[in-house]
Amino acid sequence: MSSPQIIESVTPCSGQYSWKQDLRLNVWLAVAVATYLVDLALLRANPGGTPLGRGLCALAPIIPGLLYIRSWVRFIRGMDELQRRVQVEASLFAALSTIVVGAIIATLNGHGVAVLGAQHGLGIGGAFMVLFPLWLVGWAFANRRFK
Amino acid sequence: MKNQMRELRGQKQWSQGELAEKLGVSRQTINAIETEKYDPSLPLAFKIARLFKQPIEDIFAVD
Repeated sequence: MSSPQIIESVTPCSGQYSWKQDLRLNVWLAVAVATYLVDLALLRANPGGTPLGRGLCALAPIIPGLLYIRSWVRFIRGMDELQRRVQVEASLFAALSTIVVGAIIATLNGHGVAVLGAQHGLGIGGAFMVLFPLWLVGWAFANRRFK
Repeated sequence: MKNQMRELRGQKQWSQGELAEKLGVSRQTINAIETEKYDPSLPLAFKIARLFKQPIEDIFAVD
Protein backbone atom coordinates (compact mmCIF):
# COMPACT_ATOMS: atom_id res chain seq x y z
CA MET A 1 0.00 0.00 0.00
CA SER A 2 1.49 3.39 -0.98
CA SER A 3 1.93 5.96 1.79
CA PRO A 4 -0.28 9.03 1.64
CA GLN A 5 1.24 12.48 1.23
CA ILE A 6 1.71 14.24 4.55
CA ILE A 7 2.28 17.89 5.37
CA GLU A 8 5.41 16.94 7.36
CA SER A 9 7.10 16.05 4.06
CA VAL A 10 7.14 19.76 3.16
CA THR A 11 7.76 21.06 6.71
CA PRO A 12 11.47 21.65 7.42
CA CYS A 13 12.78 20.12 10.69
CA SER A 14 9.78 17.75 10.93
CA GLY A 15 11.97 14.66 10.65
CA GLN A 16 10.09 13.55 7.51
CA TYR A 17 11.06 16.50 5.31
CA SER A 18 11.64 15.77 1.62
CA TRP A 19 13.20 18.55 -0.44
CA LYS A 20 11.95 16.87 -3.64
CA GLN A 21 8.36 16.98 -2.38
CA ASP A 22 8.86 20.55 -1.15
CA LEU A 23 10.24 21.62 -4.53
CA ARG A 24 7.41 19.89 -6.41
CA LEU A 25 4.82 21.66 -4.26
CA ASN A 26 6.35 25.11 -3.82
CA VAL A 27 8.25 25.81 -7.04
CA TRP A 28 5.34 27.82 -8.49
CA LEU A 29 5.05 29.84 -5.30
CA ALA A 30 8.70 30.81 -5.64
CA VAL A 31 8.13 31.72 -9.31
CA ALA A 32 5.04 33.79 -8.35
CA VAL A 33 6.97 35.70 -5.67
CA ALA A 34 9.92 36.30 -8.04
CA THR A 35 7.55 37.49 -10.81
CA TYR A 36 5.79 39.78 -8.34
CA LEU A 37 9.07 41.35 -7.20
CA VAL A 38 10.33 41.79 -10.79
CA ASP A 39 6.98 43.34 -11.76
CA LEU A 40 7.10 45.76 -8.84
CA ALA A 41 10.60 46.88 -9.88
CA LEU A 42 9.58 47.19 -13.56
CA LEU A 43 6.42 49.17 -12.78
CA ARG A 44 8.33 51.55 -10.51
CA ALA A 45 11.14 51.99 -13.04
CA ASN A 46 8.71 52.66 -15.92
CA PRO A 47 5.86 54.80 -14.59
CA GLY A 48 4.97 56.05 -18.06
CA GLY A 49 4.15 52.73 -19.74
CA THR A 50 0.92 52.05 -21.65
CA PRO A 51 -2.09 50.97 -19.55
CA LEU A 52 -2.20 47.61 -21.37
CA GLY A 53 1.51 46.96 -20.75
CA ARG A 54 1.27 48.01 -17.11
CA GLY A 55 -1.86 45.88 -16.64
CA LEU A 56 -0.28 42.79 -18.17
CA CYS A 57 2.85 43.32 -16.11
CA ALA A 58 0.87 43.77 -12.88
CA LEU A 59 -1.24 40.66 -13.50
CA ALA A 60 1.66 38.40 -14.59
CA PRO A 61 2.12 36.81 -11.09
CA ILE A 62 -1.42 35.41 -11.34
CA ILE A 63 -0.28 32.72 -13.81
CA PRO A 64 2.35 31.11 -11.52
CA GLY A 65 -0.07 31.77 -8.62
CA LEU A 66 -2.75 29.65 -10.32
CA LEU A 67 -0.19 26.94 -11.06
CA TYR A 68 0.76 26.99 -7.36
CA ILE A 69 -2.89 26.53 -6.40
CA ARG A 70 -3.05 23.59 -8.83
CA SER A 71 0.00 21.91 -7.26
CA TRP A 72 -1.47 22.53 -3.78
CA VAL A 73 -4.80 20.93 -4.79
CA ARG A 74 -2.92 17.92 -6.21
CA PHE A 75 -0.92 17.65 -3.00
CA ILE A 76 -4.11 17.68 -0.91
CA ARG A 77 -5.69 15.03 -3.18
CA GLY A 78 -2.74 12.72 -2.43
CA MET A 79 -3.33 12.92 1.32
CA ASP A 80 -5.34 10.46 3.38
CA GLU A 81 -8.84 11.38 4.48
CA LEU A 82 -7.95 12.92 7.86
CA GLN A 83 -5.02 14.97 6.51
CA ARG A 84 -7.21 16.12 3.63
CA ARG A 85 -9.92 17.22 6.01
CA VAL A 86 -7.40 19.17 8.11
CA GLN A 87 -5.97 20.87 5.02
CA VAL A 88 -9.37 21.67 3.51
CA GLU A 89 -10.47 23.22 6.82
CA ALA A 90 -7.23 25.21 7.12
CA SER A 91 -7.35 26.37 3.48
CA LEU A 92 -11.00 27.36 3.75
CA PHE A 93 -10.32 29.27 6.97
CA ALA A 94 -7.37 31.06 5.33
CA ALA A 95 -9.26 31.90 2.12
CA LEU A 96 -12.36 33.21 3.90
CA SER A 97 -10.30 35.17 6.44
CA THR A 98 -8.27 36.74 3.62
CA ILE A 99 -11.53 37.87 1.98
CA VAL A 100 -12.60 39.39 5.31
CA VAL A 101 -9.22 41.15 5.73
CA GLY A 102 -9.46 42.44 2.13
CA ALA A 103 -13.00 43.69 2.73
CA ILE A 104 -11.96 45.45 5.96
CA ILE A 105 -9.03 47.15 4.22
CA ALA A 106 -11.26 48.21 1.28
CA THR A 107 -13.89 49.57 3.68
CA LEU A 108 -11.33 51.52 5.69
CA ASN A 109 -9.75 52.89 2.51
CA GLY A 110 -13.22 53.81 1.23
CA HIS A 111 -13.82 55.87 4.36
CA GLY A 112 -10.52 57.67 4.04
CA VAL A 113 -8.72 55.66 6.72
CA ALA A 114 -5.59 54.66 4.82
CA VAL A 115 -4.22 51.30 5.90
CA LEU A 116 -0.44 51.51 5.93
CA GLY A 117 1.00 49.68 2.91
CA ALA A 118 -2.43 48.75 1.54
CA GLN A 119 -3.84 52.08 0.33
CA HIS A 120 -4.89 50.36 -2.92
CA GLY A 121 -6.14 47.12 -1.39
CA LEU A 122 -4.21 43.95 -0.57
CA GLY A 123 -2.82 43.31 -4.05
CA ILE A 124 -1.52 39.95 -5.25
CA GLY A 125 1.57 39.87 -3.01
CA GLY A 126 -0.36 41.20 -0.02
CA ALA A 127 -3.06 38.55 -0.45
CA PHE A 128 -0.44 35.77 -0.34
CA MET A 129 1.26 37.39 2.65
CA VAL A 130 -2.07 37.44 4.54
CA LEU A 131 -3.09 33.99 3.31
CA PHE A 132 -0.01 32.11 4.52
CA PRO A 133 -0.06 33.06 8.24
CA LEU A 134 -3.84 32.54 8.28
CA TRP A 135 -3.36 29.07 6.79
CA LEU A 136 -0.80 28.34 9.53
CA VAL A 137 -3.32 29.40 12.19
CA GLY A 138 -6.08 27.31 10.57
CA TRP A 139 -3.78 24.31 10.25
CA ALA A 140 -2.67 24.55 13.89
CA PHE A 141 -6.30 24.69 15.10
CA ALA A 142 -7.56 21.90 12.83
CA ASN A 143 -4.52 19.70 13.56
CA ARG A 144 -4.85 20.16 17.33
CA ARG A 145 -8.32 18.61 17.33
CA PHE A 146 -6.99 15.28 16.05
CA LYS A 147 -3.69 15.08 17.97
CA MET B 1 -18.33 6.25 17.84
CA LYS B 2 -16.52 3.58 19.87
CA ASN B 3 -14.09 1.15 18.27
CA GLN B 4 -11.89 -1.85 19.02
CA MET B 5 -8.96 -0.71 16.88
CA ARG B 6 -6.38 -0.50 19.65
CA GLU B 7 -7.25 -3.94 21.01
CA LEU B 8 -7.20 -5.56 17.56
CA ARG B 9 -3.91 -3.89 16.69
CA GLY B 10 -2.49 -5.06 20.03
CA GLN B 11 -3.50 -8.66 19.28
CA LYS B 12 -1.62 -8.49 15.98
CA GLN B 13 1.32 -6.76 17.72
CA TRP B 14 1.45 -4.06 15.07
CA SER B 15 2.62 -0.55 15.76
CA GLN B 16 0.45 2.38 14.68
CA GLY B 17 2.93 3.04 11.88
CA GLU B 18 2.72 -0.55 10.62
CA LEU B 19 -1.08 -0.49 10.65
CA ALA B 20 -1.04 2.90 8.90
CA GLU B 21 1.17 1.49 6.16
CA LYS B 22 -1.09 -1.55 5.67
CA LEU B 23 -4.12 0.71 5.34
CA GLY B 24 -2.41 3.40 3.23
CA VAL B 25 -3.10 6.20 5.72
CA SER B 26 -0.92 8.31 8.00
CA ARG B 27 -0.01 7.32 11.57
CA GLN B 28 -1.89 10.39 12.81
CA THR B 29 -5.09 9.01 11.28
CA ILE B 30 -4.69 5.68 13.12
CA ASN B 31 -4.03 7.53 16.37
CA ALA B 32 -7.07 9.80 15.87
CA ILE B 33 -9.31 6.77 15.17
CA GLU B 34 -7.98 4.84 18.20
CA THR B 35 -8.48 7.79 20.52
CA GLU B 36 -11.97 8.22 19.03
CA LYS B 37 -11.31 11.77 17.92
CA TYR B 38 -12.03 10.89 14.33
CA ASP B 39 -14.53 8.52 12.73
CA PRO B 40 -13.18 6.89 9.56
CA SER B 41 -15.02 7.08 6.26
CA LEU B 42 -17.04 4.04 5.19
CA PRO B 43 -14.39 2.85 2.66
CA LEU B 44 -11.66 3.07 5.31
CA ALA B 45 -13.85 1.32 7.89
CA PHE B 46 -14.40 -1.53 5.42
CA LYS B 47 -10.67 -1.70 4.72
CA ILE B 48 -10.01 -1.96 8.48
CA ALA B 49 -12.65 -4.69 8.86
CA ARG B 50 -11.17 -6.64 5.95
CA LEU B 51 -7.65 -6.31 7.36
CA PHE B 52 -8.67 -7.61 10.80
CA LYS B 53 -11.04 -10.20 9.25
CA GLN B 54 -13.90 -9.04 11.48
CA PRO B 55 -17.42 -7.81 10.71
CA ILE B 56 -17.47 -4.01 10.62
CA GLU B 57 -20.07 -3.84 13.43
CA ASP B 58 -17.74 -5.80 15.74
CA ILE B 59 -15.06 -3.13 15.33
CA PHE B 60 -17.18 0.02 15.28
CA ALA B 61 -20.21 0.73 17.43
CA VAL B 62 -22.29 3.84 17.97
CA ASP B 63 -21.94 5.33 21.49
